[in-house]
Amino acid sequence: MRPEDRSLILDTCVRAVFHTILLLSLYLLLSGHNQPGGGFVGGLVAGAAFVLRYVAGGADEVHRMAPFRPQLLLGSGVVLAALTGVGSWLAGGELLEHGKIDLHLPVLGDVHASSTLAFDIGVFLVVAGLVLTLLESLGDVAETEEQAAAEREAGAGTGAAP
Amino acid sequence: MPHAPPRCRATPTGGYHVAALRPGRPGARGPLHPLEALLLVLVSLHAAAAVVALALGPRLGRRVLLVCGLAPLATSIWAAAQAPGVLDGAAVTQRASWVPALGVEATFRLDGFALLMVALVSGIGTLIFAYAAAYFSDQPHLGRFAATLVAFAGSMLGLVLADNILLLFVFWELTSITSYLLIGFEDTKGPARAAALQAMLITGGGGLALLGGLVLLGQAAGTFELSEILAATPGGTAVEVALVLVLLGAFTKSAQAPFHSWLPGAMAAPTPVSAYLHSATMVKAGVYLIARMAPGFAETGLWRPLVLTVGAATMLVGGYRALRQRDLKLLLAYGTVSQLGFMVVLLGAGRPDTTFAGAALLLAHGAFKAALFMVVGVIDHQAHTRDLRELSGLGRRLRGLAVLSVVAGASMAGLPPLFGFIAKEAAFEGLLHLELGTGGTLVIAAVVAGSALTFAYTARFLWGAFATKPAATGEGLTGPAVPRPAWTFVTPAALLAALTAVTGLLPAPLNPLVGQAGVALDPTLDPPNLYLWHGLNTALLLSAVTMAVGTTLFLLRDRIERWQAGAPGLPSAEGGYNASVAGVMRLATRVTAVVQNGSLPTYLTVIILTILILPGVPLAARASLPEGLVWWDRPLQAGVAVLVVVAALATAVARRRFAAVLFLGAVGYGVAVLFVVQGAPDLALTQFLVETLAVVLFVFVLRSLPERFHHVRWLPVDASRVAVSAAVGVFVAGFALLAAAARTEPSVSAAYLEQSLPEAGGRNVVNVILVDFRALDTLGEITVLAVAAVGIVSLVGIRRRRGQAGTGTPSAVHPGHEGEREEATR
Amino acid sequence: MNVLVPLPIVLPLIGAGLCIALRSLAAQRVVAVAAVTGALGAAGAALAGVERHGPVAVAVGGWPAPRGIVLVGDLLALLLLVVSLATVLAVLVYAVGQRGTDEASGFFHPLYLVLTAGVAASFLTGDLFNLFVAIEVMLSASYVLITLGGRRSQVRSGMTYVVINLLASTVLVTVIGLIYAATGTVNMADAALRLDAVPDAVRTSLGVLLLVTFGIKAAIFPLFFWLPDSYPTAPTAVTAVFAGLLTKVGVYTIIRTQGLLFPHDRASTLILVLAGLTMVVGVFGAIAQDDIKRILSFHIVSQIGYMIFGLGLFTVAGLAGAIFFVAHQIPVKTALFLVGGMVETGTGTSALNRLGGLIRTAPAAAALFLLGALSLAGLPPFSGFFGKLALVQAGLAAEAWVITGVSLFVSILTLFSMTKIWAGAFWGEQRAEPAPAPRTADAAGAVATTGGAAAAPEGGPGALRPIPRLMTWATAGLVGVTLFVAVAAQPIYELSERAAGELLDRTAYLEAVLEQ
Repeated sequence: MRPEDRSLILDTCVRAVFHTILLLSLYLLLSGHNQPGGGFVGGLVAGAAFVLRYVAGGADEVHRMAPFRPQLLLGSGVVLAALTGVGSWLAGGELLEHGKIDLHLPVLGDVHASSTLAFDIGVFLVVAGLVLTLLESLGDVAETEEQAAAEREAGAGTGAAP
Repeated sequence: MPHAPPRCRATPTGGYHVAALRPGRPGARGPLHPLEALLLVLVSLHAAAAVVALALGPRLGRRVLLVCGLAPLATSIWAAAQAPGVLDGAAVTQRASWVPALGVEATFRLDGFALLMVALVSGIGTLIFAYAAAYFSDQPHLGRFAATLVAFAGSMLGLVLADNILLLFVFWELTSITSYLLIGFEDTKGPARAAALQAMLITGGGGLALLGGLVLLGQAAGTFELSEILAATPGGTAVEVALVLVLLGAFTKSAQAPFHSWLPGAMAAPTPVSAYLHSATMVKAGVYLIARMAPGFAETGLWRPLVLTVGAATMLVGGYRALRQRDLKLLLAYGTVSQLGFMVVLLGAGRPDTTFAGAALLLAHGAFKAALFMVVGVIDHQAHTRDLRELSGLGRRLRGLAVLSVVAGASMAGLPPLFGFIAKEAAFEGLLHLELGTGGTLVIAAVVAGSALTFAYTARFLWGAFATKPAATGEGLTGPAVPRPAWTFVTPAALLAALTAVTGLLPAPLNPLVGQAGVALDPTLDPPNLYLWHGLNTALLLSAVTMAVGTTLFLLRDRIERWQAGAPGLPSAEGGYNASVAGVMRLATRVTAVVQNGSLPTYLTVIILTILILPGVPLAARASLPEGLVWWDRPLQAGVAVLVVVAALATAVARRRFAAVLFLGAVGYGVAVLFVVQGAPDLALTQFLVETLAVVLFVFVLRSLPERFHHVRWLPVDASRVAVSAAVGVFVAGFALLAAAARTEPSVSAAYLEQSLPEAGGRNVVNVILVDFRALDTLGEITVLAVAAVGIVSLVGIRRRRGQAGTGTPSAVHPGHEGEREEATR
Repeated sequence: MNVLVPLPIVLPLIGAGLCIALRSLAAQRVVAVAAVTGALGAAGAALAGVERHGPVAVAVGGWPAPRGIVLVGDLLALLLLVVSLATVLAVLVYAVGQRGTDEASGFFHPLYLVLTAGVAASFLTGDLFNLFVAIEVMLSASYVLITLGGRRSQVRSGMTYVVINLLASTVLVTVIGLIYAATGTVNMADAALRLDAVPDAVRTSLGVLLLVTFGIKAAIFPLFFWLPDSYPTAPTAVTAVFAGLLTKVGVYTIIRTQGLLFPHDRASTLILVLAGLTMVVGVFGAIAQDDIKRILSFHIVSQIGYMIFGLGLFTVAGLAGAIFFVAHQIPVKTALFLVGGMVETGTGTSALNRLGGLIRTAPAAAALFLLGALSLAGLPPFSGFFGKLALVQAGLAAEAWVITGVSLFVSILTLFSMTKIWAGAFWGEQRAEPAPAPRTADAAGAVATTGGAAAAPEGGPGALRPIPRLMTWATAGLVGVTLFVAVAAQPIYELSERAAGELLDRTAYLEAVLEQ
C-alpha cells in the first residue's frame, strides 16, 4: 500500500487495539476449556487482529508484524496437534487420550496443564496461520491488481494530456 | 505358490478314473517316478525359454529360435518316453495347488488323447522352430518373436494337459493373447494389426462365453476337474445352457462358421506362425475341448444337433470359399476351416467310431497341413509371391518341394495310400454307423460333398503352386528364376510328408496311439485297427464318389471361379464382424456424447435428481408426516428463520456480486442467532467470526471481479432449476422431520453433558467435545484448514507466475483473466 | 493401547505438517517417503495381527464407543489399506522421479500426505461423522492436487471436480445429520443396532440416500460425469493416485455402510441395475476415446460397476469377489496411468493419433502396459482374471444371469479398448517427432526443463525423450504388486472371503466396537 493511501486515524486506532486483541485471543485459547472460547475462536480472533493491520497498512504491515512464513504456523500447528495424540501412547493411553499434569509452582501456585491444551494450541496455530496465509496471498494479488489498474489509469491520463 | 506333492495314478483300463485328488486325503497319494512329475516343469520350461529369448534375443540372432525350440523338443522326448505307459492306459497326473478357493487348481493329466495332442503340439512345434530359423533372416526383434512363439507353445501344451477346466481356460486365453501378438508381429502393417484384433475379439468373445459355460458346468458338477465331471456327468437346464456356451467358445476358437472369418485374416502373420497356430495347434483347441466333452454330453440338450450342423456347414463353407482363393496361403486357410468343420463333426458326435476316426484325422491333418503351410512359406520366401496366377514352372525348378507337396496334398485330398485316406475311410465308416435318421444322412451327404471340395481345392493348390501356366504374369519370379531353398528350410516339411506317406502304407504302429486316444475320450470304444484296405464297402464307394466329383470340380475350376465371383454374395462372416464392431463403436460414441456432454449444470441437475428420486420416491410413498409437530419453540426462532429464508432468496436473485455476498453473510448471521436462541453461545461465536472473515475475504476477491453477475436474463431452464432446488429443500426438510420423529433412543450427546466436567475436566462442553471427545475430528478439520491455506498459496502462486510469464507487465495478464472469469460464472 | 491401527493416519499427518513447514524439497521427499513407508509397515503389521486375532477397535481419546470416535481395524479395512498404501508409495517414488511433479510448487508432498492420511482414516474409522471428516481431509487435498500446475484446462476441469464433490459432501453431511436425528448416534456399530428400531420407510430411504451419496464419490452411474472430465488433465502422478484410490474409497464406504448399517434393506435390484449401467456406459465411454488417459479414466467408471455388482449380490461369494476386485484394481489402474505418464514423458503426448511404434522405442513401457492391460481386461493368469472369475462364480451361483452376462460382455469391450491403446501407441509406425514442449514440463513451469531436454531429444530423429529410471522402476514395482496379487490369489481371496463373512455377519465387528 502506498504511504499516501494510509489513513492516520485508522492506523493509530489499529495500533492501539492490535496487542489487546492478540491478548484476548490468547485468553480465549487458554480459558476455552471452561468458558466460551478455545483454540478455534482464539485463532480467529488473532487472525482478526492481523486483518485490522492489513486494512490499515496493507500486506507489508502484516508481514512486519509477523515476519515469518505463515506456513510455519500451519505446519507446526498440525504437527503439534498430531504429536499430542501420539504423546498419549507414551503415557500408556490410547491415541489422543487426555492427560493432566498438576504442578506446584512457586509463584503461580497450582497449575493444571492438560494435554488437551497443547492440542488446542495446535488448533490455534493453524487457524491463525490460515488467516495470515490468506492475507499474504489474496491481499497481495488484490494489491498488485489495484496497482496495475492505477498504473493503467495513470498511463491513460498521461496519454490524453498532451 | 504352495505345491502339494505331485502324484501319479494309473488305471489299468485306461478309462476315466475318478482320481481322489482332493487335498487332505493322504491315501490318494501314490508313489511317483521322478521323471513323471515333469508336467508342470515342462510347461514352465516354455515360459523360461520365453524369458531367455527376451533377454538374449539381440545377441543370438536367428539362433534364438533354435534355443526356444529346445522346450518343445524336450517335451516331445519326454512324451515319447512316457508313451509306453500311457498307451497301456496309465495316465500321468500331477497336481499343484493354485487358487482352490475359486476352483482353480494346477491339475495336469497326460492320457492317451493328451499324448496325441502333445505329439502335434510339441512334435510339430519342434519342426516349426527349426523351420522358422531358416525362414527368418536376422532382424532386431526376433527375440520378441521367439519368446511369444514359445510362450504360445507352452500355453497350448498346458491347454491339452490341463485336467482342471479353469486351468484349461487360463491356457485357452493365453493362446489367444500370444496369438494376438504373433498375428500382429509385423505391427507396422495395418492389415496385420486389424487381423490380430479380429482374432482377439472373436476368440476372446467366445472365451468369455466359455468361461460362463465352464463355471456353470463346474457348479452343477460340484468340481472343476474334467475327469471328475465326465465320470459323473451332471444334467439339467443349467448344464444345457452351459454346454451351448462352451460350444460357442469352442466354435470361435476352431473357426467354425459363422465365426471363421478371423482365420483367413490371421494369414497376415509370418508363415511359421500360420503353419503352427492355424494348422496344428490353436485352431485345434476348440476341437480338442469338443472331443473331450462329447462322449459325456453328446446326448444332453442341443449338443449333437448344434455340433453336427455347425461342423457340416463349416466344412462346406470353407471348401467352397477355398475354391476361389488365388493366394495359396488363403486357400490353405479356408481349407483348414473346412477340415476343422470335418473334425468337429467327427469328434463332436460323441459316438465311439467317429471319435476314433476323429482322432486319426486330427493326427493326419496336423501333419499334412503343417507341411503344406511350410511349403507355401518356402514358395513365398523364394518367389516373393503366393499368388497362383503369378507362379509358373515351379514344379520343374523345385522338384523336391513339388514331390513332398504332392504327397502331403494327396493326404489332404484323401488319396490312397496316404494316412489322410485311412483317416477319411475311418470317418466315413464311423458316420455310416451314426444311425441318426434323416439328419444323419444329411450329415453324410455334407461330409462327402465337403470331401469332394477338399479334393478339388487341393488339386487347385498343387496346380496353382507348381504347374507351368502360360498366362502367368506379375512381379513374382517364376520358373528358372526362382532360387533353390536351403535344405534346412525344406527338411521339416519333407519329414512331415514322409511321415504321412509311411504311416499310410504301414498304419499299424499308429494303432496304439490313435486307439488309446479314442479310448481316453470314450472308454466304451473298442478300438478297431487302422487299415489301408478296408475291403469293398460303402466307405470306399463314398471315397470314389468324392474323387470323381472333386476331379470334375477341379476341371471346371475357371467356370466355378467366375460363377462364384458373379453369384450374389452370401452374407459373409467378415462382413458380420465388421458390422458388429462398427455398430458397437457407433453406439458407444452416441451414448458417450449424450451422457458426457461436458456441461456442469447438466451434471449437477442429473445428480441432484438422482438424489431426489431414488431415496425420495419410496420415502414419499411409504412415510407420512409425524403428528404433534410444533412450528417453533420460541417465536424469535420463526422471525429469524423468515429472515434467513429471505436473505437466502435474495442471494440467489441478486444481480450485484457485492449484494450477493452481503445477503449470504446475513444468512450466516441468522443461523448464528438461531444458535444463540438454542443456547449455544460458543457455536454462535464461531459462526459469527467465520461469517465475518468470509465476507472480508469475498470483498478481497470481489475487487478483481466485475461488479455484476454475467448472466442475468431469465431463461426457461431457470424455472426448472428453481423447481429442482425447491424440491430438494422440501425433501431435506421433510426427511429431517421424519428422521427426528423416528428416534426411539436418547442421543449419545447426553453423555457429553454428564461427563464433560467430571471425566474430561472442562466446563465448556463444546470445547471438550472439540479437543477431547472428538479430537480426531478436530485434527482432521485443522488439516483441512491447513490444506485450504496451502491451496490458496498454490493457486495464487500460479497466477503470479503466469503474470510474470506474460509480457512482463502485470496489466498484460488481464485479458486472460477475463476469459477464466466467464468460464467460472457460466 | 493399540498403536498400529492409528499410525497409518497419524504418521502421514505429522509428515504433512512437517512438509508444510519445511522449505527444502529434498527434506520433504525424505519425510514423505518415510511417513508413507512407516504407515505401510504399520498397516501391514496390523493386518497380520487382525488376521490372527480378529477385528481391533481403538477408542480414540480413551472414550469408548459410542461416546468417542473409534478406529476399527478389520480384515476389510486393513486389506484395502495395505494395498492402497503400497500403491501410494509407488506413486510417490514415481512423482519424485518424474521431473516437474513435486518441483512445480512446494506443496506436492504435504498435500499428498494429507491425501494419504484421509484415505487411511476413511478406511479405518468406525464413526460416521469422522468418516465425513476423513473424506473431507482426502478431498480437500485432492482439490489442490488436481489443479497443481495450474494450466487453464486443468483449472476449468478442476472446477467440475470441486463443485460436484462439494455437492456430494454437503449431501453426505446432511445424511449423517439425518441418521443422527433418527438414531441419536454417529458411531457406526451403535447406529447399526439402533437403526433396527427405525421405521422401515425411513430406514430404507436413509440407506438409499447414503448409497447415492457415496455413489457420487465412487463414480457409479448416473453420478460419474465429473470423473472422466477432470482426471485426465491433472499431473500424471496425481491422476494415477486418484484413479487408484479415491473412487475405491467410495466403493469401500458403500460396502461398509450398506453391509453394516442396512443389512435388512438390501437394495439388491437397484444396486445390480446401477452396476450394469455403470459397467456398460463406462466402457462405451472408453471405446469412444482416443487418448490414453481418457480411455483409462472411463475404465475407472466401468470397473466400479464390477465392484458394485459383487456387493449387489449380498452373498459372501459376491462380496468376496467385490473386495478382491477392489484390491486388484487399486494397483492395476494406478500402474496403467503411470505407464501413460511414461509415454507422455517420452513423447510429450498421450493422444493415440500422435503415437506409434513404442514397442521398439520404449519396450519397458510396452511390457508394463501389456501386463497391466491384460490384468485390467481380466485375462488369465493375471490378477483381474481372478477378480472376474470370483464375480462370475458368485453371480452364477446367485442365479443373477443378466448382470453376469453383462459383466462378461463388458470385459470383451474392455479388452477391445485396451487393444486400441496397444495397437495405437505401441504398435505401428512411429508418428511425428516428440512434441516440442513436454506436458510435464509445462505443468511444472520449470524453466530448466524447457531449456534443456526439449530442445533436441538425444539419439537422433525418432528417439524419445529419456524416461527417468525412477519412474520406470516405480511403475515396475506397482506392476509387480499386481503380479503378486495374481500369484497370491489364494491367500488374498481367502482374506476377502473372510472379510466378506465378517461384513455380512456383523457380530465380530459389533463386538469389537461395543464391547471393548
